[in-house]
Order: sequence, then C-alpha cells, then structure tokens
Amino acid sequence: MNTSLKWLRDHVDFSDFSIEKLDELLTFAGIEVEGIRNIPDKLVVAKVLESVPHPDADKLSVCQVDDGSGTNRQIVCGAKNYQVGDLVPLALPGCQLEGEGGKPFEIKEGKLRGVPSLGMMCAASEIGLAKESDGLMILPEGLTPGTPMAELYPAVFELEITPNRPDCLSHLGVARELAALVGKPLLGVYDHTDSATPTSVADESIVSLQTEMCPFYTLRRIKGVKVAPSPAWLQEKLDSIGLRPINNVVDVTNYVLHEMGHPLHAFDAAKVTGPLRVREAAEGETFKALDGETYTLEPGDGVIADDQGILALAGVMGGEDSGVTESTTDILLESAYFCPTAVRRTSRRLNLHSDSSYRFERGADAYQAAGASDLAVKHILDLASGSAEETLHVAGELPAAPAAVALDNDYVRQVIGAPISDERISSILTSLGMKDSQKGWVLPTFRVDLPRAIDLVEEVARVIGLDEIPAETKARFAPASKSDASYDFCMQLGRQLAAIGFHENRTLKLISEAQLADNIAVNHRGMSPIRLKNPLNDEQDYLRPGILPGLLASAERNQRFGNRDLRFYEMGRVFTATPKGGEVENEHFALLMTGASRPRNWAAKEPSSLDIHDLLGVLDAICPGVALVPIESDAMIGACSIELGTGKKAAKLGMAGILPPARARELGLDGVVLVAEMNLKKLQTSIGQTRRFTPLPKFPASSRDTAFLVDSGLPVGRVSEFFAAQQEQLLESVELFDVFHDPSGEKLPADKKSLAYSLTYRHPDRTLESAEVETAHEKLLTALKQSLNVDFR
Amino acid sequence: MIEELDAIQSEALNAVATVTDDAGLEALRIGFLGKKGKLTAASAGMRDVPKEQKKNVGQKLNETRQAITAALETKGAELIAAKDAAQFEGIDPTLPGRTLPKGAQHPLTLVQDEAVQILRRMGFALAEGPEIETEWHCFDALNTPADHPARNESDTFYFENGKLLRTHTSSVQIRTMEKQAPPVRIIAPGSAFRRDEIDATHLSAFHQLEGLYVDTGVTLADLKGTLEFFFRELFGEDTEVRFRPHFFPFTEPSFEVDLKLHATGQAAKWIEIAGCGMVDPAVLQSVSESRKDDAFTADGISGFAFGMGIDRLAMIKYGVPDLRLLIENDVRFLGQFA
Repeated sequence: MNTSLKWLRDHVDFSDFSIEKLDELLTFAGIEVEGIRNIPDKLVVAKVLESVPHPDADKLSVCQVDDGSGTNRQIVCGAKNYQVGDLVPLALPGCQLEGEGGKPFEIKEGKLRGVPSLGMMCAASEIGLAKESDGLMILPEGLTPGTPMAELYPAVFELEITPNRPDCLSHLGVARELAALVGKPLLGVYDHTDSATPTSVADESIVSLQTEMCPFYTLRRIKGVKVAPSPAWLQEKLDSIGLRPINNVVDVTNYVLHEMGHPLHAFDAAKVTGPLRVREAAEGETFKALDGETYTLEPGDGVIADDQGILALAGVMGGEDSGVTESTTDILLESAYFCPTAVRRTSRRLNLHSDSSYRFERGADAYQAAGASDLAVKHILDLASGSAEETLHVAGELPAAPAAVALDNDYVRQVIGAPISDERISSILTSLGMKDSQKGWVLPTFRVDLPRAIDLVEEVARVIGLDEIPAETKARFAPASKSDASYDFCMQLGRQLAAIGFHENRTLKLISEAQLADNIAVNHRGMSPIRLKNPLNDEQDYLRPGILPGLLASAERNQRFGNRDLRFYEMGRVFTATPKGGEVENEHFALLMTGASRPRNWAAKEPSSLDIHDLLGVLDAICPGVALVPIESDAMIGACSIELGTGKKAAKLGMAGILPPARARELGLDGVVLVAEMNLKKLQTSIGQTRRFTPLPKFPASSRDTAFLVDSGLPVGRVSEFFAAQQEQLLESVELFDVFHDPSGEKLPADKKSLAYSLTYRHPDRTLESAEVETAHEKLLTALKQSLNVDFR
Repeated sequence: MIEELDAIQSEALNAVATVTDDAGLEALRIGFLGKKGKLTAASAGMRDVPKEQKKNVGQKLNETRQAITAALETKGAELIAAKDAAQFEGIDPTLPGRTLPKGAQHPLTLVQDEAVQILRRMGFALAEGPEIETEWHCFDALNTPADHPARNESDTFYFENGKLLRTHTSSVQIRTMEKQAPPVRIIAPGSAFRRDEIDATHLSAFHQLEGLYVDTGVTLADLKGTLEFFFRELFGEDTEVRFRPHFFPFTEPSFEVDLKLHATGQAAKWIEIAGCGMVDPAVLQSVSESRKDDAFTADGISGFAFGMGIDRLAMIKYGVPDLRLLIENDVRFLGQFA
C-alpha cells in the first residue's frame, strides 16, 4: 500500500521526524516498510537548451541546461531519448543517489572523455521513481527549472499491512496508529462514526437486502452534478500514491477510500432502473465489470442489481455500464459493509482484486460507512456542485460492535515476563483508543483484531517493544529422541562419505512422471508413486518414490557443464502410497558414481573408469560385512540386493547396480553410471549396533596359499559360499588375493580363470603344529575340488 | 712381530679408506679380523714371542685390533650416512601431493547442523513429522482461518484425498504436542512446500527449522533471550538482532527477527531471518481437544515458537546469491564447502 508522507501530515505533525525515524516508527509499530520513495536533495528540474555530439565519443552528447540558477550548466549525457526543450531531473554536484545494490554514491563535477560535466541528468530508475526505465525521465511540460524534485514527488512509503490490521489500510488509519505511538494529537479528524446527516430507513422501493453477505447498506442521491476533471490538489494526492485521476466524482470515492479506508461506489442514477437489490448472483449470470472483462457468476457472489440486471459485484468492482461518466448528472452513492468471507471468495475465484475488495476481505468498519458517505458527499458537492438528498437511506443493521475485553494485568506481566506497571498498561491501551469500563476494555469499532485478552497483551508488548524487555535464558535438560539418533547417524554417514570423496546432493522432492522410470528403490508390492492434485507444471507433478531419479538428473546437469567425475550421495524422505491410498514416508539413502576411479595425478598413469567393484567397495566401507546378492532386474545391469546377515534373517537394505547404457543415453548421461539406493532406517538398525570388544589372539596364526583354475563364468561368490559353509574350526579367515584371466589363451586356457586365496589358520589356546595345519588345509582343498571341480595349479 | 703388526695395520687402514660399499667393508672385516684373517693369523705368533716381550707385543696386538675395528666402525657409519643422504637426494616438495578424493556435505546440511548443534547445547531435542500433512495439522490446529489465503490451491500443493504438502514445519509443533505433555522443548529441521515458481529467491520445496518450548511460565523474555543467544552463536557475538512486531495466526504476540547484515562493499542492512512469538492460546486449545486432556491448557502453561528458513541461513552464512545454486548440485559449487 502506497502511503504519502504529505498526506499523512494532514493528520499528524511529523515535521520533527526524519524519513529514517518514520521508517523505524512504522517498522516497530508492526507495519513493514517494503520501500521508500524518497527524492534526495540537490535534485532539480532542468530544461535542455542545447545538445551537441561529444567531440571524442560517439555515444555521448554535450548538453547545456537551465537549472534555474540563471547560469547555464554543462552536462555530458549518454541518453538519446530527449529533445532540446525537454524538462528532465538533474542531480547537482553533492546529490546522494543510490547505486546498484543500494550502495550510495555522490554526484561530483568531473570530466567525461575530456569534457567537463557538472552533474547528471537522471532516469526514473536512478532516482527511485521506477523499478526499471529506458533513457532519461522526461517531466511534464510547464514546470519551472530549478524546482526541487522532492516538492513534486514527496516521500511515499510502500507499506505491507499485516492481515490482522485492516484499520491501517488508509492514511487516516496509519496516522492514527502512529499518533498513538508517539503521543501526538490526531489532526483533521471528522467524527466518522457519528454521521451528521439524518438517516431514513430505506424501503424496498429504494434498496432491499437479500443476502447475509451485506448486513448494512446506505445510499444517497446527488442530483445535478457536473462531472469534470478533479482540481490539482486531488489529482496530486491520487497521483502521489500511484492512482490515475479519472473525474471529480470517481476521484472523490477513491480519495475517501485511501483517506478513511472505506470503499464507496458511485452509480450513474440515469442507468439504474427501479430499486436496488443486494442479492446473490444466479448460477451462470454474467457481469461486465469496469475492467472490460465479462465474469460468469455463481450463487455466493454478492451483487448489486436493478430491474435490468447486475450493476456491480458487491465490494469488488462496479459495472462498465453503470459507472459515472462525463455525461452523468445524477448519482447514487453507495457506502456499505460487505462480509469479508464472501468478498474474499468471490474476488479469489474470479481472480479479480481491487482496492475495495482488499479492504472488505480483511474487514472494513461498518460504523464508518455513514461517515465515509458524508465525507464523499461534502467533496462531491464542493467539486461537482449539485445537491444531495436530505437524508441518507439506510438498509439493514450495523453488526454488533466488538465486545469489551477483560484483562488481568498480572496476565500481561506473566506472558511478557517483565514488571510492567498497571499505569503503563492502561496508558498504552488508552492511547490506542480503548476505554476502560466495568466489563473490561471497550474497543474502537475499527479494531476487529482484539477479541481476546492475549490480543491486548500483544498490543502492550508491541508498543513497549522487545528492546525494553529483558532477555532471559530459561531452559530444560533434553533427553535424546529417536529423531536425535537418526540425525546423528545421518550426519556420521555423511561425513564418512564426504571423506571418501562424495558430494552430498539435495535434489527436488518433486519429480516428473518420466523420472519415475529411474526409481530403483525397493518398495513393497502394490506401492505406487503419489501424484499432486495441483502441480505447478508437469516437470514436478510426482513426489519422489526414491532418490535416484533426482541424482541422475543432477549427474546429467553436471556432465553438461563439464563435470565428469561424480560421486554423489543424498539422504532424505521418499513417498509412496499403499493400495488403499495411505501415504508412507520413508528415509532413503542413495549413491551415484561415474567417471574416473580415482583423481588424476602426475604420479600415476591415467585412472581407469569406475566399475561396479568401486561401488561395492564403498558399500563395504559404510556397511561392513554387507553382502551383495545378485538378483534379476530390468532396471539395472549387475543388479544386486544389498543384504546384511545370511539366510532368512538377512536384512534387505536396498539395491545396487549399473544404470543400463540405453537408459543412460536417453537421459543424456555418458559413461558407466553406478547406482545404489537403501532404506536409511534399516541401514541404521543394521549397522548402528552397540560396539563390543573381542579379545585379541594370544597365539600366532599360520597361513597357506592356494591357487586353482575354475570356469571363467563361475561367480567368485560360489567359492566364497563354499568357504563360509566349512566347519573347519582352525580356519580363521579366507582372503582372495589374485584373479587372473587370459582371454588370449596363452598363459591359461581362455575359458578358465585362476583364483588365488590365502587361508589363515589359528587355534585360540595354543600354537598350531605344522602338521595340523597341513591336515586341515588338505582337507579343505579336497572338499573344494569335490564341490566345485577346481584344478589346482 | 711388531713390524709385522704395523704392516697389517697400515694395510688394513689403507684398504678401509678406499672401500665404497657395505660388502667390501664386510670382506675387509673378515680378511683382517675373521677366523682366518691376517690379524688373527698374526696373533697366533704370540706363542713364539719371548716371554719378556709378551707384554709389549700383546699390547701392540690389542692396539692394532682396536685401530682396525675403529676404522671399520667409522667407515661403516660413514657408509650408512652416505646411503641415508642419497635416499632423499633430489626430493622436490614443490611437486604436488598424490591426490586423495575430496567430497563435501551440502551447504544446507552444514548450516543446518551448525544451528542444530547450537540449539542442542541449549537443551532442545530433535522432532519430526510427516511432510504429507492433514489440513488440520497444517492449518486448523495452528489457528489459521478457514478462508486464509495460504490454504488456496494456488498457494499450497494438495492431493486428491484432501491432504497437502506441509507449507511450514510448524505442523511438527502440533504432532509433537499430541504425543508429549509439557515440558516440550524441541527443534524440527525439515522440508516445506509452497506452490511458488522457482527463481533466485523462491523454491517450491524449501527447508525450515522450527523450534517450540512449552513449559510452566515460559515468557516473551525467554523467547528473546533464546533467539538472541542462538543468532549470536551462529553469526558471531557482535551480531545485532532486532524483533519487529508482526502477525502470525499461531502466535500472539508475534515478531519477525531481523539481523544486521554487513556485506562487503554494501551498506549494512537489516534482513529478515525468522518469525517467532508466544504460542497462541487457540493452538494450545486445539492440541488439548486432540489429546482430550488439559496438559496444555492448565494454568500457567505457556510457550514460545520460532521458525526460520535454512536456505536463507545458508545464503547469508556463505554469501550465496541465488537459491537455485542450492538445488542444482553443481560439483563446482558443492566442492567449495569441502
């Protein structure tokens, strides 16, 4: 909401307040100052008298301008959009302007390509009068050179009023609030709540109220008006807050809205046939509004109608055909109260927002309706002559005034936590227009936001400000929650991964339907992804059922920007629906690796590409003892189930594998892409077990190596399974230390591969005899030959 | 005999002086001092030395042995020293190290963890709640009017079954109070969603940190002390914090918290960093109705709540100018936080 300082000064003497001080005053009243249009000093109107090309620069001109001082001033200028004779804003040396990023800079006399320039001609954006502009600001004709720009464009505050304070949506409202806070008298106030005009009850021949959305409606007829442009004072007021002047009658209604916060509407009486009805629209009824658009209405939309049809959308906008024009002579002036909920529903559904709907939506003050009508009539008669009817026609009843609120001052002190005296509390509430009574604090009718004691506490706290309230440090001991344990687990896992070269990703949780294809997360049978009812676009219409789709998109983007070697991890929530439609939220953890197997370095030859064993190595590092059980899957090559433990008790943590090259190409990804996704909670339960000490061996171990040939297609896992199944008590550990395969067939038959193992034997209570080791070793090798038909080398 | 020993000694010392490796030195030791060595052989001649000369000759024999032994040891030490020196000759510490893989946690995680660690020192435990929420937990229980704009389908993501993606982490306040009676002292970092087009300052999915403390006699003064301490811990003890009156449906009184930001090359300015306030009695009333007890509406029970954007904390803390950098996951960006 634009609020003019000059206009505010009609109501409060702020002559001793700087712009900065007013900014602070508004801010700490709870009114956010989003911007201040404040024209600096030493910025004046100047007339361009001459403009010739700069001798040494094609893009510059040398201008002589009249700055009102009597002596011509030379300015070098780069703009092209002006002509000799134009009036432009001129920043004189010493003028403080705001540069890019709000950094202040001062205009100085200087030389541009060797030619002296004694100031700067400005664009509207350079002096805060526009967000963007192209070329110099050309001022209206007729201004006197030398006039300070600040006189033409007084300071305007762009205010954001919180939704609980509709009473501040006007100059008088803001002035009233500020006057109370600084203890200054409120000037130029008329007693709006108590209209001086006699009222008469409107019967159905004048207006009938047929909907609950309008409990109170007033109408006054003014005859014989002369519609004409508004005088300068009114045009200037509207112009200063960004409103376009239209004619004296419409301008007065706009003026009253921004002065008092009460929206009015003027109908051309000649275009109204029969009595007015305030009713709900019929299904499908159409209405052509002032903005030229035709709207299709439905029951629930409040309208003002006559015998012919709809004249206005109640509290939102007037009609194109019934408004005041240059040919209007008689007007009907409406000042009413429309219920917030109904106005909000209509303006939102039709996406039709106006200064009027904004105020009715938030809650206008019905008690001001008559006063607002009075003020408008006074100005219309003044500016457009004519004569008003003796009485104000009133239909309906004023809504009940806010009830008095009982307040225990100890409650105020208890919530705020500071010793505030009874006198101070009384003085604050009184200054805000409340009156103490037997039943409690009687509220002004415009304060619709204070129905409870806690709301009055808020007023006291707001006025005192937090600066004055002490800073206390009450606390409690906090036992760790389950969330604490998962948080710590995630952070520890994240740090471990970062230490081995992984970059954490945070990808979007909303993905496209196409991306669902990349989901490898193990979800229970029948679980489905969840679609939004109202997505922003079809790139983000599903909640991710797994993390991998996002990581793949991130990898593709990185490759596009030349980042080839990627090791990514991400942790976070994933979403699926049960067949019955219930949502399930799980915490997942995903890995993606592509590019070189290690960083490039001068000391070693070019690193090989990553292969699946790099991924398995990472999984083993973060989840020691993990097993990878090959499974059938179309989603991946070399797909494995990540499991911990064996047999039926094995915990299935997730899946790992290689993204199929065909899919990688579709996604625009280059090279081998290794992926894994796990359930984080299962991972935490599986590896987050309490640590236990195992005694160190007291007696030496004895190792025996063996190498043998197997069919090249035999998975090594079969050999591992063989050793794991052996009952040999002395066998402590088995380590595969070499795999050799010669496709040329020179050193080994091409269809065979050689595996070399080191077997370690140990007895817990004594040193083993060589013979015992030999016996155990031979027994194992014999069993191995029988079991897998290996050839020892 | 004496002359013979002199000759052996002289021969041995000359030989030691010219030897250049361990093997040669060992050969000399064996050649002179070994079982069949020259000195060992010469010492056998002691038998033929007349008795009156035995003492002198014996002494000479010892001296010769000591001289040769000492020469061998000295030479041995010299050879080791020379070898040690040769081992490190020509090393170039300016040649870069062998590269280890470098990774990093995401800046959002880093700044969130900093905040979480501070709040944990202040006695807050972590809490969580679902991101797919009911309208009751996200709006009704938080005293949001039925026709509040935030509930609009233009502002909030909905599902066909009427549930929604939570628009703030404040719903975790309700989830926690439903399960736990006072004292409640929790923080909840998490995602929230609003139907905003993504640009430099808006994300459709963003990250918030919620805080809630409900106990006997919690005051506005406690809220002020808590947040001032927190922001000074996070941004440095000189950090200026101010509380501006504001309006939220679920707190009364409500404030917005601003920090004074001193960015290099720019005028210092106040920037909004958090919202906070005393938990509105209507919220405690909703919780009580859901719990069917008066744990939160009993006399003297009050609380404060606060919430802030983690994305914004990261932007300020690390000088990130555009929110989109936080979701693009470009390794050239992520690598800056290693």
